[in-house]
Amino acid sequence: MTYNFAFLDEDTKRMLRRSLLKAVAIPGYQVPFGSREMPLPYGWGTGGIQVTAALLGPDDVLKVIDQGADDTTNAVNIRRFFARVAGVATTEHTAEATLIQTRHRIPETSLREDQILVFQVPEPEPLRTLEPREAETRTLHALADYGLMHVKLYEDIAQYGHIATSYDYPVLVDGRFLTSPSPIPKFDNPKLDRSPALMLFGAGREKRLYAIPPYTHVESLAFDDHPFEIQCWEHRCELCGSGESYLDEVVVDDQGTRMFVCSDTDFCGSRRTEAQA
Amino acid sequence: MMQAAFADYVFDSQRTFRELLQAMARPAQPRPLPVLPPSPAPIAPAAMAILLTLCDATTSVWLQQPEEEAISHLRFHAGLRLAERPEDADFALISDPASMPSLERFAHGDLRYPDRSASLIIQATSFSSSPCMQGEDGRGSHTVASTQDCATPPQPSPASRGGSNPAMRFAGPGIRETETLAIDGLPSDFWQQRAAMAAQLPLGVDLFFVAAQHVVALPRTTRLLES
Amino acid sequence: MYVAVKGGEQAIARSLELLAEARRGDTAVPELELAQIREQLRLGVARVMQEGSLYDEELAALAIRQAAGDMLEAIFLLRAYRTTLPRFGYTQPLDTTAMRVRRRVSGTFKDIPGGQVLGPTYDYTQRLLEFDTTTPAVVKSAETPLPSNMPRVLDLLDAEALIERIDAGSDPEPMDLTREPLMFPADRATRLQNLARGDEGFLLSMAYSTQRGYAESHPFAGEIRMGEVDVVVCPEELGFAIEIGAVTLTECQMINQFHGGNGVPPQFTRGYGLSMGEGERKAMSMALVDRALRCDELAEPSYAPAQNQEFVLSHSDSVEASGFVQHLKLPHYVDFQAELSLLRTLAAQHATDTDEQPLSAAGGQRP
Repeated sequence: MTYNFAFLDEDTKRMLRRSLLKAVAIPGYQVPFGSREMPLPYGWGTGGIQVTAALLGPDDVLKVIDQGADDTTNAVNIRRFFARVAGVATTEHTAEATLIQTRHRIPETSLREDQILVFQVPEPEPLRTLEPREAETRTLHALADYGLMHVKLYEDIAQYGHIATSYDYPVLVDGRFLTSPSPIPKFDNPKLDRSPALMLFGAGREKRLYAIPPYTHVESLAFDDHPFEIQCWEHRCELCGSGESYLDEVVVDDQGTRMFVCSDTDFCGSRRTEAQA
Repeated sequence: MMQAAFADYVFDSQRTFRELLQAMARPAQPRPLPVLPPSPAPIAPAAMAILLTLCDATTSVWLQQPEEEAISHLRFHAGLRLAERPEDADFALISDPASMPSLERFAHGDLRYPDRSASLIIQATSFSSSPCMQGEDGRGSHTVASTQDCATPPQPSPASRGGSNPAMRFAGPGIRETETLAIDGLPSDFWQQRAAMAAQLPLGVDLFFVAAQHVVALPRTTRLLES
Repeated sequence: MYVAVKGGEQAIARSLELLAEARRGDTAVPELELAQIREQLRLGVARVMQEGSLYDEELAALAIRQAAGDMLEAIFLLRAYRTTLPRFGYTQPLDTTAMRVRRRVSGTFKDIPGGQVLGPTYDYTQRLLEFDTTTPAVVKSAETPLPSNMPRVLDLLDAEALIERIDAGSDPEPMDLTREPLMFPADRATRLQNLARGDEGFLLSMAYSTQRGYAESHPFAGEIRMGEVDVVVCPEELGFAIEIGAVTLTECQMINQFHGGNGVPPQFTRGYGLSMGEGERKAMSMALVDRALRCDELAEPSYAPAQNQEFVLSHSDSVEASGFVQHLKLPHYVDFQAELSLLRTLAAQHATDTDEQPLSAAGGQRP
């Protein structure tokens, strides 16, 4: 037996495509969709994979990253999956890709209008840890009642002097829907705002899709006296010298010596290649 | 004789969808559709491309002009269900915009599920966009699409076609600064109807306009600026 | 010089080789044939079919072999296979009243029309390991064959109007949970569909909790029956019904006490469970949980986990649960880094605050 192009049957792709169009038309709103059981486990990118499968065509060049890196095992596995079921070209270079599926990062290299970024989302509901009942969170979104989240952030400030959320930092999309940016570090949140590229989010296990259209105002929640801030390091990347990228901390010996390197492996590698040229 | 649908239904619908997605993500910017399938009147080939790409047995479609041949063509190729009334439709095909029902008639979704709302495919006489601040080159201030450009036989033009609409400026998600667009063939109060709808956001209907081989989208969030 | 970890591709390829080797085990031992699994591990096959939502003994056996006996992995394999299968049509509702019964017991009456039929059950084995090779006893055929149509025990109560009536004819067309997302509140047909696909262990625990006070339960096993049921389709182009085969099913109807409320008189109420193959533990658990989830409809106090439909239905699926629990082994180092730097900030803040503490405690002036 042979599988259809990109694994999914055409009925499923049409269902996904209809849902994606509604997601784009209502920025930041979570569209319920008939998520299928994919041949990869739930929680491992099934939402992103379904979105990618609904988009993918023979002319696409696909890049898959996990933690910013192309060579992490799950990224390799998803790339392998699409090479196998769709035979599409793959790349590790952000600039060459037409479609980028990502888990937990937004590439450092600025995206273009002709690129689409697909996020894998474990928990699409930004209010879930504050209110576990779906029936209730839906109502809060309907009323645009986001007091719960503001109170939580305010309590952080009262208790710690800081907002104690460092990733999956909630955003308000187009001034209306409170939205999870997926578990990207808050370092990446500014890249969501007025991005030239369309950004699509897929949560397979939770069966929700949402989107941030290009050039859409995306605001990370903050208070006037506690403005939104991103992570910064005292270090630079020890491989490429970048002082602007998100850094991974790597333990390099038994004494616990640390070094800091770019999490975006393509960005880091390209900078080193350029430096050698 | 039944006409054919997409020659390559997997990839023709994939390529069409990608244009529809970009059209919805970048409102008021006309885009050419890659494939125009054969289509019985009164359905324009560009509208047929959208219907074949998005509709099947799980969607209900309302046809403004439910001609026998068009119905059997859609039933055969897409297996879709026809909606009796505009308010029951997931998709509506407006083949004579001048006499279309009010936008108010279509499903707007409910506050907990605003996605349960209609998408309209409106066959316009023509539309044109003007140069703007956006990066794409080669788009001049000219008519990008009109039914007269169409390679397939032009649709019979009912005498009741609405008049020419002036160019309008739009802003909102997907639009970098503003976009300028004129759509011909709409009812005279169309924009008032749409403006009235904007008060209900995030409820609303999402619009695809087609003319010749082009499509342009106006999702509910796109705002018409005062000129 | 530090070199970033590379080679995910090769690592995966090597891991797959090791897995294939481990799965096969000692090649001096013959490989399991699917027929052996199907015939000799039939209860495992039944569970994989049930939770995999696909009635195909051969494929379930294949999945069990491929998963090296890990039932949840086998269920996942079957689900991933069925997900893109085309739908050719839908069967008529199965008629379990017309079941060709091989087992049928009731806890509510000493004797019932058609009799108590033990059939093949582990219930009264003495759980002594049988060290010798098992050779089946020669089964003598019964002197009087079982009646072809056994009345339902619950219908006896129905005649006395002591049990709620369920009019199946008025049920709306059920939604298909494998094609549409679960929404809350979910109607009973949707809940039953979710429970049918739910993990047996999870349902067993939820059901057990209702017996230990975490819900008003008071259940009696009204009837449990197992046997074969014909599958009938009625293609639109034919216009008449045809049998396309038969499936083995286990059905459980629980009877629960109900003191009345929400406009409903005091009467017995029903909880329903159905499972493919011989799946009695699953069917009984499902029936208890089904009944507990009807608390809103019957205006019963709702306080227990098993009565909370969002809790039960959102966490019943082993494929969802297993995937998400195990996704924690994927790299999370980007977020961990974010948490590290946050924690360092908070810890530094805490140290500063603690240093200042004695000052203020001594009534000194804070800066």
